[in-house]
Amino acid sequence: MPNFATFGSVEEAFNKLSSGFVADLAHPCLSDVPRWSSTGMFQPVDTTRLSNWADMIPELWDVPYNVKDGKPWLIPFEWGQTSIAYRTDLFELQADESWDMLWDARYSGRLGCLGAGGDVWWCAAIKAGVPFDQIHTDEAFDKISAVLREQRPLVRMYTDDTTSLDTALAAGEIVASMAWNSSVVTLSEQGVPVKFARPKEGALTWVCGMMLHAEAPNLDSAYDVLDSLISEKAAIFNMRDYGYGGVNRKACAQFTDEELAVLGLSRNPVDVLQAGHFGIPQAPEWDQRMTQTWEQIKLGF
Amino acid sequence: MTAMPLTQRPASALSRFLHRHEAWRGWLLLAPAFCLMLVAILFQLGSTLAMSTWSLDGYSVDRTPTLGNYSAMLGQPMFSALIGRSLVVATFATVVTVALCYPMAYFVAFHVHRHKALWLILLTLPFWTSYLLRVFAWKVVLGYEGVLNTALIGLGIVQEPLAALLYSQTAVTLVLAHSWAAFAILPTYVSLEKIDRSCIEAAADLGDGPMRRFWRITFPLSLPGVVAAFFMMFGPMDNWPAGATLSVVMIVTIGLAGLAFLAVGRLVGR
Amino acid sequence: MARYTGFHRPNRPLALYAGAFAVFLYLPILFIPLFSFNAGVYVKFPLEGFTLAWYADLFQREPLQRAFWNSVQVAAVVSISSTVLAVPAAMAIARYRMPGKRAAVSFIMLPLVLPGLILGVALLTLLNGLGVRLSLVTVALGHMVICLPYAISVLLPRFIGFSRSLEEASADLCESTWWTFLRVTLPCNMPGVLACLLMTFTISFDEFFMAFFLSGTEPTLPMDIWSQLRFPQDFPSLLALSTLILVTSFLMVFASLKLGRIGLVQAKEVR
Repeated sequence: MPNFATFGSVEEAFNKLSSGFVADLAHPCLSDVPRWSSTGMFQPVDTTRLSNWADMIPELWDVPYNVKDGKPWLIPFEWGQTSIAYRTDLFELQADESWDMLWDARYSGRLGCLGAGGDVWWCAAIKAGVPFDQIHTDEAFDKISAVLREQRPLVRMYTDDTTSLDTALAAGEIVASMAWNSSVVTLSEQGVPVKFARPKEGALTWVCGMMLHAEAPNLDSAYDVLDSLISEKAAIFNMRDYGYGGVNRKACAQFTDEELAVLGLSRNPVDVLQAGHFGIPQAPEWDQRMTQTWEQIKLGF
Repeated sequence: MTAMPLTQRPASALSRFLHRHEAWRGWLLLAPAFCLMLVAILFQLGSTLAMSTWSLDGYSVDRTPTLGNYSAMLGQPMFSALIGRSLVVATFATVVTVALCYPMAYFVAFHVHRHKALWLILLTLPFWTSYLLRVFAWKVVLGYEGVLNTALIGLGIVQEPLAALLYSQTAVTLVLAHSWAAFAILPTYVSLEKIDRSCIEAAADLGDGPMRRFWRITFPLSLPGVVAAFFMMFGPMDNWPAGATLSVVMIVTIGLAGLAFLAVGRLVGR
Repeated sequence: MARYTGFHRPNRPLALYAGAFAVFLYLPILFIPLFSFNAGVYVKFPLEGFTLAWYADLFQREPLQRAFWNSVQVAAVVSISSTVLAVPAAMAIARYRMPGKRAAVSFIMLPLVLPGLILGVALLTLLNGLGVRLSLVTVALGHMVICLPYAISVLLPRFIGFSRSLEEASADLCESTWWTFLRVTLPCNMPGVLACLLMTFTISFDEFFMAFFLSGTEPTLPMDIWSQLRFPQDFPSLLALSTLILVTSFLMVFASLKLGRIGLVQAKEVR
């Protein structure tokens, strides 16, 4: 069985790797690839060594920045959305589901925010109506900061961990929050009346997966792990237990269209990914400026 | 202080030398601990100082020394505000911890005569559960539909759950005071207990000041924790040079505050 | 409650306060066992029925078990080794006139004001530079750096106040220095040593930052718990584990009391 070092956020993992920690495989997201691959800490994956590669859904990995000499840097493992989870019994919808729900003053002090992974910034961009290809401009920074500052007094908790978030949703302490697919699956399983919104402006979509360390000490085992992670079984587990999209085409056959719709997934991931907004990798300066501005807003400055 | 008692047994040259030279004897005893700290701390301070003068160029680090990080940091009003805020929280929480724990340590030192060790262990046991789990436990007590709110509503004291119980200054202070309790009680107990003993043997020792000891351990324990937590919230963790600069500023702040508190503690302890 | 003997008169308000303090200390802790038997996943009221499923689940959770044992090992090694280093250091500081003592002591106490986060990063860089492989040994090393100042601080007042007359008496009886230390110095300072062991064990067992930076692929318990917060459905078994830790340590304490070990220490304590 493989050993894991699990991190609270992508940044934590990146920090530890940069300071010399060597693992065979690391698990970031597709939009981290330009940055992670530029460090020289990783190697592209030889897909001919993966027996399940033929069943991989190509749209999940085939983007220019993820491919070097025909080999991908990142092997997708799961995909999904960042959207709004809300209590159907406590949150009274006045119009269509929308990002406005998280700015609804009626529920001041009972809204949550998942502060991990820079998702907040991208979601706020959707709310502010900033197109993702414009997100690097000064104007976009002003607009996004403005909506986040507007939201701050309404927010009860900014949290990085889904356990705190789900517990608060289950207790009714918060009635709506930014969330990932998994929260809705676990909460529903526990009988909490909760729904994963399909905001009219579109949700934030993402793909995450594995990158292979350039000096992976156990290269053969690493390929074995990769191969099992993209297998049909792993994909079904991902969808059923966590509500994340599987990357193996065969897995979808195990689900009805209805089941997929509840999970916010689709037989054809491109439908979902294109209906939403997919994060675009940005320059390092942007990353820093975004992190810094967001931290300032969070602290009330 | 008297010289080490001489043994009547034949001793080696080394031990004869050590018996004659008190300072060498002391340093020999101190050496293992001192050497470990020397390596760890010197390197720590050195690398932090060096790193704080580097800068970030794209995703790679530029090692040309510069004071840019410092000027950038001091240029932001947020920093002084943050430092101020964390000092206030740390001070407040320390005072509360002192107030709550001192009588307890006093009780164990002077009013428990059997099973003292048992008491000490019982006071420590709650902290062998994880901090993170204790925080969740506190959320159950203070939460929106938590124990305290339910009790207040049940008693008819309030109509609606008080949202302000959790995620407030009071909650933070309470949880911090709770999690520092063992670290506050143990050292205070040890110094109080010693006074108990010297009461009989030599009353002169009384002035040594358990309060001072308390400040010296509890406050340092609390302050870096709180300051670090505050800075972590801000922490540009993907920017190591800036992080190092932050650390230097943090260490200086904590050092200054520590000195101030030591002075206060000395006044109080006398 | 202890019986009051000796020259200190009982103090009823103080005893009441001690009771109240115990409630404050243990009240939130009691919710950990309570929710470990709750059928629902979330830590919230109302309770949803009794279950032992989370305890059964523990047996399936091999990584969690490993993390727990890792933490116990590290904490045990750290508490013993830092106490072993701290006892002579505290003796030296308390008794000997030596040049440069003040400076050396302030230096040793420095980690008290350095956040673990910073120490962790710096030690990681150092160990990487030396080519040391990260493991539980490096974690223990890091924890010792944190624990030593606390250990010395706890022991110091004890040694400063300790009367030398007993030691001198022992030396007069032709005992060797070592024998005197083992037979007289150590037993007489047992409360301090015990407090020191307890304190360092507790610090190491719950320390996160150092462990985070200095561990390889073997996580300690706080690290494992931290990473498990990503998976709410696994949370109750963490509560179950914590309950087991609490119950086991209580049983151990009471067993050792019954066996009279602590009683012996106390017998020396009570004059």
